[in-house]
Amino acid sequence: MIKDIANLTVIQTGPGTKIRDLGRGGFTQFGVPLSGPGDLEAFLWNNHLLKNSPGDAQLEIQQPGLKLQFEQACQICISGASSTIKLNGKNIACTGVIEIQEGDLLEIGKFLRGSLIYLGIRGGFQTQEILGSRSQLNGITDAASITKGAKIPFFTNLSNPVKTTFSHPKWDNSYLEKEEIRVYSGPEWYLLDPNAQKMLLSRVFHISSMKNTMAIQLEELIPNQISDILTAPVFPGTIQLTSGGKLLVLQQDAQVTGGYPRVLQIDEKDLRVIAQKAPGQKICFQLVSEV
Amino acid sequence: MVELTPSVFQIGPQYTEINWSEPVSDSLLIKRLSLEKSLLKDLGNEIDDLRVAYQSIVVKWKNQFPKDQFQKLIKITSAQTATLSDTVWKIPVCYGGQFGKDLLNLASEKKMSEEEIVQLHSQANYRIFFYGFLPGFMYLSGLDPILSTPRKSIPDRSIPSGSVAIGGDQTGVYPLESPGGWHIIGRSPIPFFTPSSTPPVWGKAGDLIQFTPISESEYERLRRNPKLPEQL
Repeated sequence: MIKDIANLTVIQTGPGTKIRDLGRGGFTQFGVPLSGPGDLEAFLWNNHLLKNSPGDAQLEIQQPGLKLQFEQACQICISGASSTIKLNGKNIACTGVIEIQEGDLLEIGKFLRGSLIYLGIRGGFQTQEILGSRSQLNGITDAASITKGAKIPFFTNLSNPVKTTFSHPKWDNSYLEKEEIRVYSGPEWYLLDPNAQKMLLSRVFHISSMKNTMAIQLEELIPNQISDILTAPVFPGTIQLTSGGKLLVLQQDAQVTGGYPRVLQIDEKDLRVIAQKAPGQKICFQLVSEV
Repeated sequence: MVELTPSVFQIGPQYTEINWSEPVSDSLLIKRLSLEKSLLKDLGNEIDDLRVAYQSIVVKWKNQFPKDQFQKLIKITSAQTATLSDTVWKIPVCYGGQFGKDLLNLASEKKMSEEEIVQLHSQANYRIFFYGFLPGFMYLSGLDPILSTPRKSIPDRSIPSGSVAIGGDQTGVYPLESPGGWHIIGRSPIPFFTPSSTPPVWGKAGDLIQFTPISESEYERLRRNPKLPEQL
């Protein structure tokens, strides 16, 4: 089988474009963040359609204005947030496998719904692998994100291309509109007074502008009488309550331990719902009774 | 003496926290390491991720919580199968001056000389409890209570990697450049986190470390030829 390496060139990008795979699961014991995809299902969908391995590396795109030029032919897939996508200046649909020819120019414009887009490629991107993962992170990989002018290697001439058909496979986008987030009580939930508990579960929260891949800070405050705890394990989806009453929803690049009370934990299936929200959008929490 | 069993808290279907409500000590660490060991040995195939801190272990299960096996394991693991290692790592530190910009302030706050602070800090053995906060950041026990100092109210925007610091009743080394609210008393020229190595750190939970004062010229020499710390 011939596998030649070709590059795509990043002609333009907004901040926060990163290479992502399933992350550094085996290394969290050394204090290394997980750094998986914020929207795991969208990520896995691309690799499934491209007949890749589930963990093949993709691009995670957080801002409009991405422009890429492909040096060689390849097959790509785009999932997650919906957006306007242009291939060589013409609008295209973003469902299913997209055939790319040598020299093609791909543009991702305005985000219509959602805030994370995944761009997968047949065979996966072949960037630097550190501690079992290509996910970019400050302090771990040489580059913390993809910047203008970057060249990203991929395989061309793969001998078994995916057959593209006219029927577009089904992908349910309705989670991008969802506002209810299913949660479980965290270890420090029972230290909260009943009013604070009630407030957390009944009021609407807004995503603040303090949103990144480490944490999402919510706009509204919750009165907090619990003091900080002795440093304890945390995970993506852990909701911490700071001494100032701020709620921090931990994301994929969060620390593995923390000293703020862990009041709630988001259900694994709803991590993507909050990760896809943009600053200003609403959410509310729904406590799932213990099994 | 009554053996206190840890409490178990289920965080939804996928996470289980095991918590010991007792003060941080070597005997607590032995209990935690023993349980970690038997969890990985007997239920390793069920575990997606396991994270630890001072008093707790949180397991993320791959699929369903294996309730029966888990409860059996918790009961029999009052047996302490782990022992603390006798490895002592020697960490060279250049205290004060340009590398420890908060040492002078700390000394005057404590009504002590810089030398006295350095002596107290470098004469103790510190135990590695776990890694957290930053990749390769060691949570250590063993700081002399005299050196305990509240964190800064306004954190520094950038603390250089290798900085040795005191925050609350803890001391630690920043393995990477980072913002932080601890008081910087010195800097070590050796690597604490090497992303290209597996594992990326040299110490493990249970090991001891000792800080050894070095001069600025020794710091420069070691910085040019970085190597792993020596073992006593």
